[in-house]
Amino acid sequence: MTVLEAIREVQIPLLAAMLLGGCTAKLARTLRPGAGDKGAGPTVLFPMRMRLPLALTMCAVEAGLALGLILTAGSRIGAGAPATCVRLGTFLLFLVATSALIELRQTRPDAGCGCFGDFSTAPVSGRTLARSVLLAIAALATLGLRPIEPPASAGAALELIIVLCVELVVIGILSPEVGEGLIRLGYSEPCELRYIPAARTVAALRRSKAWRRYSGLVSSGTPSDVWRELCWRYVVYPGSVQGRRAEIVFAVFLQHRRPAVHVAVVDAATGLPFSPGAVEAGTPAQPSPGGMSQPSADLAAASAAIAGPRAQPTAAQSTPTAPTAASVVQAARTAHLARVRDLLLSMNLYAAP
Amino acid sequence: MPSGPAGYACCDRCATLTGPAEAGARQGLTAGDMVAGPSAAVARRRVLKAAVFAPRSGQDASWSTRPQQNGHRQPGEPADTSHERATFADPGRLPRTVFGIIQDVSPHVLVLGEGPREQRFTLTPNAVAWRGAQLEPAALHQGDRAVVRLTPSGRQVADRIWANIGRVTGVILERSGGTLVVDEGATRAPQVVRLQPRSVGRIQVRFPTLEPGYLVDIIGLRTGTELIGMIPATSQPGYPAGRLPEPPLISGHVPDSISGSATWHEPRDEPPGVLGVAYPALDPGTGCAEDMAGARPGSSRMPYLALGSVLRVRNDCTDTDCLVPVTGCATIARLFNDRCVTCGTSPRGRVADLTMASFIALGGELERGCFNATITIGA
Repeated sequence: MTVLEAIREVQIPLLAAMLLGGCTAKLARTLRPGAGDKGAGPTVLFPMRMRLPLALTMCAVEAGLALGLILTAGSRIGAGAPATCVRLGTFLLFLVATSALIELRQTRPDAGCGCFGDFSTAPVSGRTLARSVLLAIAALATLGLRPIEPPASAGAALELIIVLCVELVVIGILSPEVGEGLIRLGYSEPCELRYIPAARTVAALRRSKAWRRYSGLVSSGTPSDVWRELCWRYVVYPGSVQGRRAEIVFAVFLQHRRPAVHVAVVDAATGLPFSPGAVEAGTPAQPSPGGMSQPSADLAAASAAIAGPRAQPTAAQSTPTAPTAASVVQAARTAHLARVRDLLLSMNLYAAP
Repeated sequence: MPSGPAGYACCDRCATLTGPAEAGARQGLTAGDMVAGPSAAVARRRVLKAAVFAPRSGQDASWSTRPQQNGHRQPGEPADTSHERATFADPGRLPRTVFGIIQDVSPHVLVLGEGPREQRFTLTPNAVAWRGAQLEPAALHQGDRAVVRLTPSGRQVADRIWANIGRVTGVILERSGGTLVVDEGATRAPQVVRLQPRSVGRIQVRFPTLEPGYLVDIIGLRTGTELIGMIPATSQPGYPAGRLPEPPLISGHVPDSISGSATWHEPRDEPPGVLGVAYPALDPGTGCAEDMAGARPGSSRMPYLALGSVLRVRNDCTDTDCLVPVTGCATIARLFNDRCVTCGTSPRGRVADLTMASFIALGGELERGCFNATITIGA
């Protein structure tokens, strides 16, 4: 087997793999709710109502050609004219794709090629075009190729593998999607933007050393307030220190494992923090029976308290008759406005008429 | 009667935002009284947050299970803003706002009132009014609902009047000729916008697709429940509201200050004169009424905050700033990936949806719709 023949033989599985990969990625994007008719790649050149059918047609064509390339590669099925038709179709597909990308680059320079769905969001560049041209040439090279047989020797197999690897490297260099994929693999969302449910924060707090130390001051397993700012969630429990009403404020850093926890014990009457000495003196050796022996029940109570500001719709949902969407919205709206008014009154920002 | 006291300008109240305990003390309330209900607890959050992160001399290290190392704060930890408090704006620096019905107006005096009560304001020689267009204050009509900007130097001196101004921002539900029905969010009633015939061309330059599903933001004159649309407040995003572009991936930590566009909204159910800001990214776990009603996710990523969080909002065009509490969620504002071009082009879309009073206090002109702003979180 000459090197040229090896190169031609490698193109069949390579083209099939590229087509199947592109089809799968496109299908995943197309079938995602709300994204199907948003348009990706050359489909954005068409009216919105045609984008979804076009994207699905592209997927079907790519899948059909990939399967056709695989099935007609050997001598058992479809050797001869069927194989030539499939390979010619593949060549035409990449030729049309190249032309469409050139058109896309001129009319919508901001749009990605959409070749591999969500991974292909980078604007069409010379690399993208070169890859499409390379694949068209690869498809052209398969025309007239004899049926593929298993390699006769280990040397021939090695030769094929080397050719395949070299071509994969070339395609990788020409693919902006590789960089995008690597970025996504290593991407970690900043904690300020990461959504972490409040119940998970409370659960993490209950496992913390700070909780074990200060839970003795807590008089109720249900937090009186829970809110979040940036990377911190604040959980406030009512309690008592040396007979005075207190609030134990836990600030929990929003990370999944072993979050940092800061604590303050505040006098409920004055709003001033207790001195560490007073807190130490008021901390019992064992946790008080504030429901702490039942973590799961506490978590449920905590979750209910977290839903406190929206307690009305939650309560309504628990009644036998299901509330209408309008009543839930109305209840939420009323509660929200009441909270805002109280907030502003307390901050002295609003004087009621 | 003006619907709020003339003295509740932005920074002269915000300057006391070091905690509601102080505000409560002024009102004769104890902190215990203030935590009587969950709503008051929202206002108490700043006190409790300050208690957690306030530096304590001789503090037992065990107060924090993971003390800060080398003096560096954790990502997202509230900044020590003591130096910022020291440079708070002069209370007499920013204009204040009053709302009311025009009882009488002359070139020199404006009388606002409601029922038997009325309040008089002296107009400065260069005072201007807006009622669909710039005009002399004397040209305003009796019965117009006015938003009046008072000068910082005088409590009864006005230099700017907006009459019957309104704004509708949302998603078009229906269109029938020149009339639009606009969805402003799940917790607000749909709004009817009737495009003024002579303004249709101007509006369509900025909003070429006035079709259901597309976003619209129009300023005009309010007549009862309708808005006569006259001015496009921004340029229409090219996408329908249901097909928002994917938000970009953000790496590293979000900066404390974010620049973008600050807009304003009509009070609707809120009391007029509220000094607050609707923020586009309230924590979904805190029960934002809009989020509960199934609001759409936004196209931009903003750090999560809660009701009662305080932002420092700076008008980049006038270089004025003040602290403003978060009083609502801006679920419609987060759909807009537009830019404010009042002074240069804002680097991103809407970062704050201010109440009218806050917008005016920060030097915004209502008919312009927005100003370039920088918000600082954790102030």
